[in-house]
Amino acid sequence: MTPPVSAPVIHDVNTLPSGDNVNPYAFSVDVQGQWFLQKGKMIAYYGQLSFDGVGHGRFDRLLAGSFHSPMHAADWVVAEGSGKMLLADRSFDINSYDLDDGNLTIRSGNLLAYEPGLALKQSIIPGFLTLIGTGKFVAASNGPVIFAEPPIRVDPEALVGWADCPSPCHHYDHQYLRGVLGGVRRLTGLGGASGEEHQYEFVGAGTVLLQSSEQVMAARPTGATPGQQGVPRQRGGVGGLLDM
Amino acid sequence: MPFTQVNSKVVQAKIQAGQRLYSQRGAMLAYSGAVSFTPDLAGGQGGIGGMIGRRVANEATPLMTVEGDGTVMFGHGGHHIEVIELSGETLYVEADRLLAFDGQLRQGTMFMGQQGGVMGMVRGQVTGQGLFTTTLAGNGAAAVMAHGGVLALPVTPQSPVHVDPQAYVAHRGELQNKLTTALGWREMVGRGSGEGFQLELTGSGTVYVQASEEKL
Repeated sequence: MTPPVSAPVIHDVNTLPSGDNVNPYAFSVDVQGQWFLQKGKMIAYYGQLSFDGVGHGRFDRLLAGSFHSPMHAADWVVAEGSGKMLLADRSFDINSYDLDDGNLTIRSGNLLAYEPGLALKQSIIPGFLTLIGTGKFVAASNGPVIFAEPPIRVDPEALVGWADCPSPCHHYDHQYLRGVLGGVRRLTGLGGASGEEHQYEFVGAGTVLLQSSEQVMAARPTGATPGQQGVPRQRGGVGGLLDM
Repeated sequence: MPFTQVNSKVVQAKIQAGQRLYSQRGAMLAYSGAVSFTPDLAGGQGGIGGMIGRRVANEATPLMTVEGDGTVMFGHGGHHIEVIELSGETLYVEADRLLAFDGQLRQGTMFMGQQGGVMGMVRGQVTGQGLFTTTLAGNGAAAVMAHGGVLALPVTPQSPVHVDPQAYVAHRGELQNKLTTALGWREMVGRGSGEGFQLELTGSGTVYVQASEEKL
């Protein structure tokens, strides 16, 4: 981490960290081989890297081993070659996590990249992805990540993911709607809602990951290049035939 | 004290049976134990009278009471959070900056005109406080939100502090604040420095300033 007041640090390919944060908002990955990467999260790279969309014939074996999420195929690319690439996402806090023969489920918008030692699968909870295996992955969060142990109930928007514990269930809390006063409250709507009637409940052994705010990172469409001057246009469907 | 800082944007509160916290609605991130969150119709303490006072004063931010036995984490909108502990002093803060506070604190509403008459009201307009501000008095802790980090600047009778009204968050202690203007012909022709208004705080106490000029 850079100290708050200092001259700008100038990096080159040798001084960039490998597999570590450059600052809280950018992460440097040392690619030797292949990495999976969500589209649009790479901000710069050194070396010989090529980025190809998932579904490319060359990657059949790789995909068979490490990518089991056809629904998200359009959002992912494979970075191949050797070099260092920098990842960042809307200046959110970036962290890397190491899994050792483990499993971790994460909100799909928060996952930036992962090593092929891990296999990506869709969680049965909509909007979440599960990583299984051994390796490193990189994820973003709005504010630093907090690790908590179950039993815990979590605001749905503050949840980033969870590791090693059974899937959560919904918890509804309408304690204050009971009794006579509660009945009046429910019938008239007087008093409003606390905004905390619904949580995800985690039980069992494991770790729950929270972000520091209940602002969800909107999964922005990252597949297309921005439509601005000087940027070649992304070609649309059917090889760009519809793109006249 | 009930609040512990988890990181710059999250505070954790330990709550025991019989204790009560007030917090902004929807600001709970996670909790463990048996804790209930009840929307508070009155928006704080003081019964119906207090509620009407706050509605009139436009200091009625939707609050909920947090009761039970367990641990609760609070955070809101990715704002930075400063825990301010009070031992007998009074904290002056805008209601919408209050993330959570100890139920033991006495909550009140203050008319800005009480501090400096008409100039106090003008000051309220410039800082965005409006005509009224919320006071918390007694023994306990309050978690206050700010955009960017928070600096606590001590004020002593020998060293008054000048603050940009937009960066002002809260103050506590025996402070007199007055709006000072440094308006000259440059402002009149639209070539001002952008720092024409400042809050001057004198007395003894602490003023909290955020590292940004953005309002919440």
